[in-house]
Amino acid sequence: MELILEQMPIVLPALNAGFIQTLKLFLVTLVGALPLGLVIAFGAMSRFKPLSLLTKLVIWIVRGTPLMIQLLIIYYFPGLVLDNPIWGSGEKGRFLAASVAFVFNYACYFAEIYRGGIQSVPIGQEEAGLVLGMTKTQIFFRVKLLQMIKRIVPPVSNEIITLVKDTSLSRIIALQEVIWAGQAFMKGTQGISGAIWPLFFTAVYYLIFSGVLTVLLGKLEQKLEYFR
Amino acid sequence: MKKLLALLLTGCMMAATLVGCGAKTEAVADADAEVAVEETAEVASDLAYVQEKGVLVVGITDFAPMDYKDEAGEWIGFDADMAKGFAEKLGVEVEFVEIDWDNKILELDGKTVDCIWNGMTLTDEVKAAMDCSNAYCNNAQVVIVPAEKAADYQTVESLEGLAFAVEAGSAGEAEVTALGLNCTPVKAQSDALMEVAAGTSDAAVIDSLMAAAMVGEGTGYADLTYTVGLNSEEYGVGFRKGSDLVAELNAYFVESYAAGTMQTCAETYGVVAALVEQK
Amino acid sequence: MSVLLEVEHIEKSFEETKVLKDVSFSLNEGEVVSIIGSSGSGKTTLLRCLNFLETPDEGVIKVANEVLLDMKNPATLKESEIRKKRLRFGLVFQSFNLFPQYTALENVMLAKELLAKEQPEYKLRKKEIQEEIKALSVKLLQQMGLSERMNNYPHQLSGGQCQRVAIARALALRPDILCFDEPTSALDPELTGEVLRVIKELADQNTTMIIVTHEMAFARDVANKVIFMDDGVIVEQGDPKEVFENPKEERTKQFLARYKQG
Repeated sequence: MELILEQMPIVLPALNAGFIQTLKLFLVTLVGALPLGLVIAFGAMSRFKPLSLLTKLVIWIVRGTPLMIQLLIIYYFPGLVLDNPIWGSGEKGRFLAASVAFVFNYACYFAEIYRGGIQSVPIGQEEAGLVLGMTKTQIFFRVKLLQMIKRIVPPVSNEIITLVKDTSLSRIIALQEVIWAGQAFMKGTQGISGAIWPLFFTAVYYLIFSGVLTVLLGKLEQKLEYFR
Repeated sequence: MKKLLALLLTGCMMAATLVGCGAKTEAVADADAEVAVEETAEVASDLAYVQEKGVLVVGITDFAPMDYKDEAGEWIGFDADMAKGFAEKLGVEVEFVEIDWDNKILELDGKTVDCIWNGMTLTDEVKAAMDCSNAYCNNAQVVIVPAEKAADYQTVESLEGLAFAVEAGSAGEAEVTALGLNCTPVKAQSDALMEVAAGTSDAAVIDSLMAAAMVGEGTGYADLTYTVGLNSEEYGVGFRKGSDLVAELNAYFVESYAAGTMQTCAETYGVVAALVEQK
Repeated sequence: MSVLLEVEHIEKSFEETKVLKDVSFSLNEGEVVSIIGSSGSGKTTLLRCLNFLETPDEGVIKVANEVLLDMKNPATLKESEIRKKRLRFGLVFQSFNLFPQYTALENVMLAKELLAKEQPEYKLRKKEIQEEIKALSVKLLQQMGLSERMNNYPHQLSGGQCQRVAIARALALRPDILCFDEPTSALDPELTGEVLRVIKELADQNTTMIIVTHEMAFARDVANKVIFMDDGVIVEQGDPKEVFENPKEERTKQFLARYKQG
């Protein structure tokens, strides 16, 4: 215990720095994947058969393969196969590659949730809008969107909490997120080696963060309780 | 824009690889990679490639005393300092990038790093996958056990029946497997130590250089100690297949050994006893 | 009285099934027509064709001598025009289809506001126009007896109240012809009265209406004309008293007899 207290001033800043990476990846993924998912959902629902088939194929591939493999492919393939390491070797490139993999992966999951949400809004809502002379766009944004959001908030919240933890997969391409930072003290860094507790302590970061998110998402759900 | 394009291409390839027969396509991709590397070697030299971009990217892990960070966050260590000298000789900047050790060949062939310079044991696997420099350090694989049991395990024969933890793909794993001992591969040497400390494995096998730094009095694993040495082995620097940087580095090693700078550097980091003569 | 609506030779099939067969009728301005018939007789499909929710296979629809739809003339089928043509008709659904995230008042105002925004003068007189729309919507809801309920959300209202909001919502766009698709079928029996009363008031104010209903007494009392449909054809149409008391066709007699028993 004394040893832990002694190591704390060195370990915490390192874990904080790692957690900032985790947080950044989390935020970039959300900001990118939430809207991209909608585009993909529309692609999958398109009446233009080739587009919807292609989109469904992509969704199948992305959801049917481990995110870890996608990270490896996206980061290493350009250099391996095209002989052009587009991402570069530094932290920046790794972060960018991880962001692309995460945004794409999560967008596909979100797309399927959106699709379910859109299709669960009763057809009568659209017909009522049409009869009132509204355009399809108006009907989508003014009538269906909020009803859809209300239906998808619980499953999307689930995905978001999963995302918090999935960010740790990015360490496969050596993105130095919080678990990487914790593990470093086991291997030895900054004069501390063989310290196991920092790795387990990273769980505290995840717990607190997902706790905050659970409360926020719960509030959002509550906000949408005003209609049924 | 370029990145976007490459991303699209990557996506297509991903689809192609995954949709097609997995094993077959993978083999093709591997072949492609090899062709690509060979082409680089023939057409444009690796040296020219590094000099053109003006930076030598060195793939490392945090591994005292070879590569580790000082208080200012600067990478130092026997390997790091030698790499800085080598880069200076090439007239390029040096960039240290922490990698996942499991993916070192991917990093090298994917050109996200230019060399692996991190107390890397020259195993047959390593030599098959990369072109390596001459050996510059000796190392041994040693057995780690709890200190209070050390007396019982002083010979190779006494190890039978112990449950070992070893780093997957490491020289230690090769030794333990060759002896027919019962072992569990884990992700890193440090994980192997943790296994012993936690009692989930009876013993571990790690590098003696690392053991000297991490085990025993005054370290994080004060209750552990090392006993039998299983083999001796050598450290080298890995480059892409066919790279002309190998010859450059060998020449630099000879040069700095003759000048005595390599020895001075080794003294700084306490690895002088392990140093291999360069000639 | 001038002829407002003319429907000529409408045909409609779903897959192999013919749902409407050569349906023709007309309606004078200020008149009410009730359409009766058993389920599956094509009444609802006919209403949906009038509101452009379905496209007939054949036929012509005219309002005030203007051809809105002529299946032989592709110029009348343009998607962009259909939105405007829809506004000639209002439709009240069996299941209300109120927008759940809006209050009663917002439900009535929404479409009118969106239409107003397309007008060039909207930007100049934004406040004024919004006030006008609100005043009109409040008045309509009061007329429906919902003064106290304007700021309630649909899930806080009874079925009868919901249906009255839906009627106000349809009226807000001032359609030439207001259509009702079984407006009381989804209601508990004790709530049908308030909705029928509202429709009766509209009839008294000479609103032109087409009412598909199973309420036979109501169909007879409120309508100027009754149409009996069976198996996709208009079997008999005419004065309500005539049709209900002296039906000429055998099928009409059977249908009405079933209702009297029930």
